[in-house]
Amino acid sequence: MNALLTVSGLTVSFGSFTALDGVDLAVEERELRFLIGPNGAGKTTLIDVVTGRTRPTSGTVRFDGADTTGLAEHRTVRSGIGRTFQTAAVFDALTVADNVDLAASFRLAPHRLLRRRDRADVPEALERVGMADLAERKAGGLSHGQRQWLEIAMLLAQRPRLLLLDEPVAGMSAAERERTGELLEEIAQDTTVLVVEHDMEFLRRHARTVTVLHEGRVLTEGTLEEVRADERVAEVYLGRSAAEDGPEAGPTSGPAAEKETADA
Amino acid sequence: MTAANPTETAAGSVPEATDRNVSTGPAARARLLSGVPPTLLIGVAAAVVLAVMPLLLDEFRLGLLTRYLCYAIVAVGIAVAWGRGGMLTLGHGVFFGLGAYAMAAHMTLAAAPDGALPEFMVWNGIGSLPLLWQPFRSLAFTLAAVVVLPGAVAALLGWAVFRRRVRGAYFAILNQALAAAFAILLIGQQHLTGGSSGLTNLPVLAGVDLSTGAARTGLYFAVAGFLLAVWAAYTRLMDSRYGSLLVAVRDSEERVRFLGYDPTWVKASAYTLSAVAAGVAGALFVPATGIITPALVGVIPSIQLVLMAALGGRHSLTGAAIGAVALGTAETAFSESFAGGWLYLQGALFVAVIALAPRGLAGFAESLASRLPSVRRSR
Repeated sequence: MNALLTVSGLTVSFGSFTALDGVDLAVEERELRFLIGPNGAGKTTLIDVVTGRTRPTSGTVRFDGADTTGLAEHRTVRSGIGRTFQTAAVFDALTVADNVDLAASFRLAPHRLLRRRDRADVPEALERVGMADLAERKAGGLSHGQRQWLEIAMLLAQRPRLLLLDEPVAGMSAAERERTGELLEEIAQDTTVLVVEHDMEFLRRHARTVTVLHEGRVLTEGTLEEVRADERVAEVYLGRSAAEDGPEAGPTSGPAAEKETADA
Repeated sequence: MTAANPTETAAGSVPEATDRNVSTGPAARARLLSGVPPTLLIGVAAAVVLAVMPLLLDEFRLGLLTRYLCYAIVAVGIAVAWGRGGMLTLGHGVFFGLGAYAMAAHMTLAAAPDGALPEFMVWNGIGSLPLLWQPFRSLAFTLAAVVVLPGAVAALLGWAVFRRRVRGAYFAILNQALAAAFAILLIGQQHLTGGSSGLTNLPVLAGVDLSTGAARTGLYFAVAGFLLAVWAAYTRLMDSRYGSLLVAVRDSEERVRFLGYDPTWVKASAYTLSAVAAGVAGALFVPATGIITPALVGVIPSIQLVLMAALGGRHSLTGAAIGAVALGTAETAFSESFAGGWLYLQGALFVAVIALAPRGLAGFAESLASRLPSVRRSR
C-alpha cells in the first residue's frame, strides 16, 4: 500500500471549537475519492490543512512520501497539490488565457516571467475545458460555470499530481454539471482527485470511493453502496439528503450557492 | 510584445491599416491593434509633444514643466505599485528624497571650493567632512546611490512587511509614518542635512554651469528623456507575465499563493521598482530646481504624489504621468490668481476624483475610446 496522500491523526482546533478530530485518510495514486459529510463536518478544513492554508494543531500530512505538514501554500502547490475553492477564484481583471498562462508558469525562472505569454499548453488546457474560443475575454465577464471550468483549466495547466476540488458543481445548472462530470472523469484518468461534493446525483454518477466525515471525524469509508448501506451515515447525512434528493435538490441548492459566491 | 520597428510602423503600416479598417470593419481593426502596439503610438506622440515644448514655453515655464516631469516619473512608479500592485504608497517622498539628497550632497561638494567644507557645515561647527558625505565626492558613486539607495530601502522594507502579510490601510499608514519620520530625521540631523532649510546653492553638475539657458533646456530634455525611458520600460514590464502576476496579486493575493507563487517577492519587487523611479526623479529634481528641503519630501508631498496618480488614473502609467503634469499646471495657474487657496482646491479635487472618477483621467479616456468602435461598427 503506497498512498499518494496520507493524513494521520489530524486535529485542528479553533479556540474551543474542534474542526478536525484525529482524522486518518489515505488516498491512492490515480484514485477518484469523494469526501462527503454534513455542513461543519470539516471537509474544507481538511483541504485547507493539506494545502497549507491552515496549520494543524496536531497530526501530520504526507504527500508523495514527504512530510508536508505546515508547509506554506505556494510550497504545497510546488510539491504538486492543486486545489479549487467553493467560489471559483479566477482573476477578473485578466483575460482567460492570461489566467491559465499564469497558472502554467509557476515553475518558470523569474526572468521568463518578464516575457509575454508564449506557451503552447495554454490553448491546450483551454481546449480541454472547451473554452478555447473565450481565450481573449476578461475573466470577470464569465458565467459561474465558465469560471469553475477556467479554474479547472488553470489547475490542469499546472499538472498537479493531486487535485483537490471543493464543491465543483455547486450552483451549476444541470448541463454545466454534466459537463463538469465528464471533465472530472477525464482528469481522473491521469491525476489523483479528491472531491468535496454535496450533490447526490453527482455522487451517484461519479463516485467510486467515498469517505464520510462527521463532526471532524471519519465516520466510514468505502464504495458508494457500502457507504449508503451504513446506518450511521443515513442518520447523519444521507438520510436527510436522500429525503431532499428529488428533482428539487438541484434548483434549491443552486441559488443558495450562487448567493454565497456573490457575498464573497 | 512584438518587436515593432518604430519607423516602419509609424510611417508605413498605420495609415494603411486605418484605411482598411474603415472599409472592412472588425477584422481589419484587429489587424490594426496587433500590428501597432497602442503604447508605441502613445510614446511617439508624447516624444513629439515633449520635444516641441521648449519652442513654445519661455525659460520660466519650461523650468516649471521640468519640475512637473520629475513628479511624472514618480507618478509612473506609483501607478505600478498602487494601480497595478494595490500597494497604496503614501510615503514615496522618502524615496524621492533619498535620490534628491544623494544628488544634492554631490552637488554641494562640487560647488564648494577645493577641499572646503560646505557652508552649512561650517555654521554647524563641523570640523571635517563627515564620513557619510565622503563617497558623494564621486559622481559615479552618486549616480549609483540614486538608484541603489531607494531601491535597497524599498526592497528590505517591502520584503519585511509583505512577508508578514501587512497590506491595505496598514501598509499605507506605515508608509505615511515612514515619510514623517524621514522628514523629522532630516530636520534633526542639521549638521548632515542642512536641517529644515535643506541643501541649496547647487549651481554646477559634472562641471556644467546650470544657470545658463542652454543648460536649463538640456536639463529639460534629460528629464523628459528619463520620463519616456521609465515609462516605456515599466509599461513593457506591465505588459509581461510579471505585470499580470502583479495585478493578480492585487486582486487576490491568496489565490496567487495557490498558484504556487510567493506574493512577497512579487509585491516587494514592484515596490522596489516604484521606489527606484522616485529616486531617479528626486536626483533629477535637484539640478532642475537647485534646491531640496524636508518640506519637499515629507508627508504632504508624498500625498500630493499619490494624488497625481489618482487624478491621472492610477491603473494607467500614462494617465499617472499626465496627472502629474496636469496637477502641477493647475497648481501654478491657480496659485498665480488665488494665492493660498490651492490647498483647499487640491483637497476638493482629491475628494472629487475618488468619489466621481476613481479611474481618473485615463479611465475617462478609456470609456470614450471604448465607445468609438461601436460608432464605427454602426456605420
